[in-house]
Amino acid sequence: MQQVYSKPKSIKENSSFTFCSGCDHGLAIKLVAEVIDELNLQEETIAVASSGCSVFLYDFLDVDCVESPHGRACAVATGIKRAHRAKGDDKFVFTYQGDGDFASIGIAESLHSALRGENITAICINNTNYGMTGGQLAPTTVMGQITTTSPTGRNKEYHGYPIKAAEHIALCDGTSFSARVALYDVKNIINTKKQIKKAFEYQKRGLGFSFIEILSSCPTNWKLSPQDSHKKIEEKLSKVYPLKVFKDIENE
Amino acid sequence: MAHIVIDENKCKSCYLCVDVCPKKMIKKSEKIGKTGEFIVEFDKEKNECIGCAQCALVCPDIAIVEVYK
Repeated sequence: MQQVYSKPKSIKENSSFTFCSGCDHGLAIKLVAEVIDELNLQEETIAVASSGCSVFLYDFLDVDCVESPHGRACAVATGIKRAHRAKGDDKFVFTYQGDGDFASIGIAESLHSALRGENITAICINNTNYGMTGGQLAPTTVMGQITTTSPTGRNKEYHGYPIKAAEHIALCDGTSFSARVALYDVKNIINTKKQIKKAFEYQKRGLGFSFIEILSSCPTNWKLSPQDSHKKIEEKLSKVYPLKVFKDIENE
Repeated sequence: MAHIVIDENKCKSCYLCVDVCPKKMIKKSEKIGKTGEFIVEFDKEKNECIGCAQCALVCPDIAIVEVYK
């Protein structure tokens, strides 16, 4: 009998995720941990957590972590990366942010990190609302979606249109890799892991800013079951936010 | 014999593994977990597990800690 699956080594022993039942955050952290194990990066990684549900990263991931002010994860990561490089000690630095953090409050820091071609990786969990504070309207909320601050649904007169982060980051010249992925079925989970690995490898090779946007479910705030949340991503959200690689510097 | 190991303290009753199992080997148990709902259990009696590890892959809480084939 052969063991075909075991818990990733980069996940802390005796830690259990504090996310809601069926939340895709756990899956995303698990995939990040598996990729860190596969690339053998645990000793040289510095993770930058942000505000929101994504902050709990440092409770589960057994790597060095820094907590950044709201939205400033890419700026903090830039400082860490540059300071270590000046010492001649190249660390592996990635940020783990939510959509409100990356694409709303921190859009300046995120976009300018990409424009500078900062050699870091950013992972953005897009669940189309501000999950931790109770499901308010986020810049990524899709048209017509009901949230606590848009009770009649998002409309273009009052709220404007949602931001598509992966496309915007792909337009920056400093970006080496930008992709949007999802976690609603086995095929997509395997693809997500593949793309995270690619983004991490691009940083290791020093190619520039790499970015992964993960379409993720928020069953509690969407008021749906985990199964229906995944169905919603498959049927509705992936039409608004197409799942593909928008920029890959190797294939140009 | 292929089988899986479930950590009962980590299961949050989302039942994503129940839906994904191609052999329907995972089912709701009679035990109540931390979220106040029935946690999942592995059907040991009719063990047709093929060790594909899809349940471990989709589990968001790493409650399926080991898979043997």
